[in-house]
This record gives sequence, C-alpha cells and structure tokens, in this order.
Amino acid sequence: MRSSLSGVFGTIAGMALVEANGLTKVFRRPAKEPGLRGAVKHLAVRSFTEKVAVDSVDLSVEAGEAVAYVGPNGAGKSTTVKLLCGILVPTAGEVRVGGVVPHRDRVANARQIGVLFGQRTQLWWDLPVRESLGLLRDMYGLDERTYRARLERFDDVLELGELLPVVARKLSLGQRMRADLAAALLHAPRVVYLDEPTIGLDISVKDRVRAFLRELRADGTTLLLTTHDLGDIEDVCQRLVIIDNGRIIYDGPIGGVTERFARERSVHLQLADPVSLAAVAAVLPTVEVRAGDGPGEFSVRFDRFEVPAGRVISAVSQVSEVVDLRIDEPAIEDVVRKVYAGELRLTP
Amino acid sequence: MSLTVVKRRGGGVRLRPYVSLARMMARSLLTHRLNFVLGLFAVLFQLVAMLSVWGVLLRSGTSIAGFSWPQMKAYLLIAYATGSLLSFTDFRLAFRIRDGMVAVDLTKPVDFQRSRFAEAVGTGSVEGGFAVLVCAVVVAFTLPVAVPAPAQGALFAASLLLVLPLKFCLSYLTSMVCFWTQNVLGVALTRFAVTNLFSGALVPLVLLPGWLQGIAAVLPFASITYTPASIYLGRATGGAAWQLIGVQAAWVLALWWGSRLAWRRAVRQLTVHGG
Repeated sequence: MRSSLSGVFGTIAGMALVEANGLTKVFRRPAKEPGLRGAVKHLAVRSFTEKVAVDSVDLSVEAGEAVAYVGPNGAGKSTTVKLLCGILVPTAGEVRVGGVVPHRDRVANARQIGVLFGQRTQLWWDLPVRESLGLLRDMYGLDERTYRARLERFDDVLELGELLPVVARKLSLGQRMRADLAAALLHAPRVVYLDEPTIGLDISVKDRVRAFLRELRADGTTLLLTTHDLGDIEDVCQRLVIIDNGRIIYDGPIGGVTERFARERSVHLQLADPVSLAAVAAVLPTVEVRAGDGPGEFSVRFDRFEVPAGRVISAVSQVSEVVDLRIDEPAIEDVVRKVYAGELRLTP
Repeated sequence: MSLTVVKRRGGGVRLRPYVSLARMMARSLLTHRLNFVLGLFAVLFQLVAMLSVWGVLLRSGTSIAGFSWPQMKAYLLIAYATGSLLSFTDFRLAFRIRDGMVAVDLTKPVDFQRSRFAEAVGTGSVEGGFAVLVCAVVVAFTLPVAVPAPAQGALFAASLLLVLPLKFCLSYLTSMVCFWTQNVLGVALTRFAVTNLFSGALVPLVLLPGWLQGIAAVLPFASITYTPASIYLGRATGGAAWQLIGVQAAWVLALWWGSRLAWRRAVRQLTVHGG
C-alpha cells in the first residue's frame, strides 16, 4: 500500500519523511490581574507570560517507521503533532513533512497525513457515521470503488459495518474511536499521527486497534503515536521518543531503553523450607527482600548492574534450596513512569 | 492500494468537497428542527412586533417617508428574511475555535474559509427555506403586499443572492475575535445589534436621523436589508439599482479578502490546549 504521492512529492535526497529542526513553539498568554481593574490595566500596559510548549525539538522520522512519542501531560506532545499538521505556526525552527512545509502549505500537507485526536471526534455529531465518511470521500476526492474497498477493509479489522448507520452522538467511546480511526485513515495517508488512539477502550477493542496499527505499519505507513498506554508503545512501535518540558530527553530504539534504563529486576523465589524473612535478608544485605504470600515465598528486587542475578540465587541457596524462580521482564513501563515521576534523567 | 491524487482541473477549485459540506450542514440542522426554530424565534418575534407597530401607524391609509402599508409589509418581510440568515444563532465557528475543534477542521485538505462558507450556504438554505415559509403565511393573511415589476424582481433576486456571502463574511470575521477573547456571546450579540440597526431591519434607514444615516452609508450593513428592500419596492431602479448591487458586490469582495488577511493573523494566535 505505498502511496503514489511519494512519487509526486518525493523525499528530498538525504531528508527524512518527517523532519523537524529546532522546532519551537511559544504560546503567549495575556497576564491579566483579576477583575475589571486587571482587565482595564491590561488594555493600557499589555503584559504577557510566555510558555515554551515545544523547545527546539529535532526529530526525523524515516518512511515506514513507527514512533512512540510519549511524555507527561503538558510535555508538548500534542503541540508537536499540531506543528507537524500545519495547524500551529512554529515560533522558530523548521519542519517538513514529505518535502512540504505544513503551516505554509497546509492543504497539500493535509492530503498526505491522517490525524486522529483521541479526545476530539471528526465525526458529525448529529449524523450517521456513514455521512461523515462520505464527506471525507468527497474531501479527499476518492472514487467510489476505492472508497468501498477501504470501507470493506475497515469492516474486517474495526467492524465498521455495524457502526455506519448509527448517529455519532449515540456511539460508545470504543465505537466512536473505531469510526474515528476509519475516518483518519480513509484516504490511505502515508503519514499518520495518532493522539491517544486507545484511550478509554476495553481490552478487546484495544487489541484490535493495535493489530490494525501493526498492519498499517507492515503496509509501509509511517506512524507517530502519542499515548499514555505503554502497551501501545511495545506492541506497535520500534522507536521511542520521550519529551518532557518541551524537550526531547530520549530518542532511540525501544529495546535500548529497557536495556539501559530498566535497571531494576525482580526475582520471585519459592524456597523448599519455610525460612524467615530475616534469614533471607541476612544473606542479601544490599537488596530489598519481601515475603511472598505463601510460606517460603520471597520477592527480591535489585539493581542488575550492581548485583548479578546469579549472585542473588546462590546467596539464597545458602539458606534453603530454591525450588522455583521467576524473573520479571524489565518493562518499558517502569522506565517511562520513572521519567514522568522525575526519578530518572535520561541522557541517550 | 494507491492513493488517489486529487487532480485540480485547470487549477480550478474542486467543488465536490464544498457541495458535500453544505449538504452535511443542512442535514445536520434539520435533525434539530426544534432547536433551529427556537433559534429563529427572536427574529420572528421582531417581525410580529414590527408588523403590529407599523400596522397601527399605516393601516389607515397614510404613508410615512413614502412607505404605504402594503410596501411596509413587504419591507418588513424582507428585513425578516435577510435578518434570519446566519443571525446571532450562528455560533458554530466561534464555538469550534473556543473548544479547539478548529484543529480538526485544519487537518482537512480544503480551504478553510471556503469550507466555512459552504457550511454557511447549507445553513442559509435551511434558514432561507423557513423564511420563505413564514413570508408565505404572513402574505396569505395580510394581503395586499407590494409586488415589484418583473425587471425589478430580477434585480431584487440578484441583490438577494449577495446577502448570504455578505452576512457570512461578517459572521466569519467576528467569529475570529474568539482567537483573542473567549467571549463568544458578547461578540455575537453586538454583531446582531449593530446589524439590526444599520442594515435597516429595525427601522428603514430613511427614517433614521441624518448623522446615523451618514454612518450607515459607510458601513456594509445596509447592503444586507436596505438595499434588497429598496430594489424590491422600486425606490432604486435601473442604474441606481445596479449601483447598489455593485456596492453590495464590492463589500463582499472586500470583506472576503479582508477575512483572508485577518485569518492569516488570527491563526497565529491559535492555542489549542490538550488533546
């Protein structure tokens, strides 16, 4: 499913499909004192507070990449996406998507991108879903055959068929998201920005959406996903970009992050004898030991750079025979959560 | 699956998206008939009040400033019909700017201003249809109403066609104020009041004091009501009528391009919070 647009716009030699250099957006808000007096004073002495939402971001995404763009609320994720869409005009820096400067040629850019704002619907609230999709068909100039073929495909993965005759306001959140996904992808855009695509969905729908996104990626569509759901990230993306306070603090493969930064390991042990917690803790002085639910069950948390797992096992063996053990896989989740909580500073 | 590249024949404007938008808007309005009718109630109320007041003054056969009772009835109906188009119920764009929904509109491969105009055409066709219905009822119950000669009627139709784009531009321009202020209602009500007075919808402009007439003459609002009504009633004929239509068209062009300039500035102001 390569779009023929790539031939038209081409990617300028040596340039990624999505390319941002020193991209900066500063919002200026009037700093008014409260009340009428403040409002009047503001007329005479205009003062503003500035908020740097996106702070000289460099980002380059190659065609076909799937990038997770994560960060805490207010970090600048959505603002970045809106800059890439051409909705917002950057304060400084450069941005190009498929050779197009989005805010300068918004319409040309709009043809090659698909956007889903998870918290805003693009469906017409008072009309059946079918009508909204029909409008998009006309907006993107799709011929009837292509339109039908795409609807059929969406029906396979998103079970869109049952939603078509339903008035948008009557859809549940999960249904609305499925319909909105179809709306965002109807014109087979080559770059897709998804802002919280699985927010509020139940597990089965979530899985279906993720499977659909993986399929899109397999087709060569470039994905940029902003999400709070770490399952989305691990399931769909290969690359992780973490933004905080408007700045990119990590940009690299997802695997790399867990390797480098998920230092913490948990080992759950089942010992042959019901020994006391104190006895186990005595042989493991530098690590955290917790008693499990049953007799002889213990959980040990340690930094794998400081204590190799083997040493933990052999130390515990002195107290009792280890019958069974389970090691928790390091999760990207832990890393991102720590970044959000400000416990971890990433310096790639 | 190959992406269909949208071809623009001879660099012209693709009409399909805009026709589709207008249709969606009209359909959307019709699903809320009650809301819609209630929204038009204020304008309808003004019509009833005006008919009563002018009826008392003119029914005896006198005429004021050249308006006989049948002429005044026609004038008031035209004022009602032109006033009901995109009146102060037209909050859609303002609300979408305030809620940040405008971000979704901006991801579409269509010209923003033309799209909003297409929506206005959809809205206007429903409002216009309703106004025609009301006028027909009023005419049926309060005959006689002045009727123009055929040639004059054609001029009137031309003039009437320019009312919607003109009102759209004014509504579009004032909605943009929402980029700076969050006060949607105040702006819309001010627009409604100013339009009502200076368009001649409240009182025919000839009856206003000289200095107010002077102000009205340099504002675009007279083109909304006073111009089509004057042409309908034959107060402006031939060259004078064409001149008035020319003024209307000039206002439409000036405001259309003015809106484009204003939009370019306003969109820099756009702040969309969250999501």
